[in-house]
Amino acid sequence: MKKLFLVPVLILDSSVCAIAADEVAKAPPAAPYQQVSKLVKLPDFLPGMGQLFVDPATLPAGPFLAYDHDGKLASTIYMLPTKDLNPDKSFDNLAAPGGNVDHVDVYYNAGHPGVEEPHVHVVLWHVAAAGEASVAK
Amino acid sequence: MTIARREVLGLGGGLVAVLSLSQRDVWAEEVVEIRMQGRADGSHVWFDPIGVLIKPGQMVRWTNFNPGNSHTTTAYHPANFGRPLRMPESAKSWDSDYLLPGESFSVTFTEQGVYDYYCVPHEQAGMVGRIIVGEPEAHGGWMEAVAASRGLPDEALKAFPTVEEIRANRTIR
Repeated sequence: MKKLFLVPVLILDSSVCAIAADEVAKAPPAAPYQQVSKLVKLPDFLPGMGQLFVDPATLPAGPFLAYDHDGKLASTIYMLPTKDLNPDKSFDNLAAPGGNVDHVDVYYNAGHPGVEEPHVHVVLWHVAAAGEASVAK
Repeated sequence: MTIARREVLGLGGGLVAVLSLSQRDVWAEEVVEIRMQGRADGSHVWFDPIGVLIKPGQMVRWTNFNPGNSHTTTAYHPANFGRPLRMPESAKSWDSDYLLPGESFSVTFTEQGVYDYYCVPHEQAGMVGRIIVGEPEAHGGWMEAVAASRGLPDEALKAFPTVEEIRANRTIR
């Protein structure tokens, strides 16, 4: 009986994920996401990341949704201030609307308008490593 | 002391070529160029050069050469966000506001002294610079050690080249 109950739940759950990923697959994503370059003074397209969108309520962690020149979602990025990576803080239940993840990059960033403090970028790439070239420049 | 102006320059080969030509030596008498730079992944940002010695009346021009970031050149002065005074009291402060890639901002310095400045979004990352104009007195009261340190992040304080270094070398990178 339990198994019979779980099956529809799983189907429902996966379909919700599929819808969410579909909604953000192409730029611009629906509200509450907003274009980062409209919120703070940054170039519209950031080399290495792409065109960024974020829900301002989720700053600084994000997720930031990053799109290539064709408006295709390339990655989901989290920006975690290094001062907040301590025993008393954590980042839980961050949204992950982008769907399948091919690989992950983690690297230090000195800061930029919007997230001024030094922080770590955690990048969930939705494209293969070769696909990163689409946002390189 | 200053006339500040904002310019938008192309980041194409033209400007780079001009900077790399021997004309640079000629320019040095008139305009001192400071680049706002950063690694491609944003892991490090800086002014280049970080310290310069100039003559009274010389112009300094900052240009953002960092394609993935925006920067400011902002004097340490109470007029700018209540920051501590780290420049001659009688001189006028400046703040470029955010410069996108390719944009420039210029200031002409007429009063002798030591001027410290920073990049608003990158002060915590140590993106600061120091300009010495003329031959200010060694102990002109412009920057007592305790007052100078107040309110600045450690990364910024560590980054300033010393007055002696700048005087000795004219340009510090």
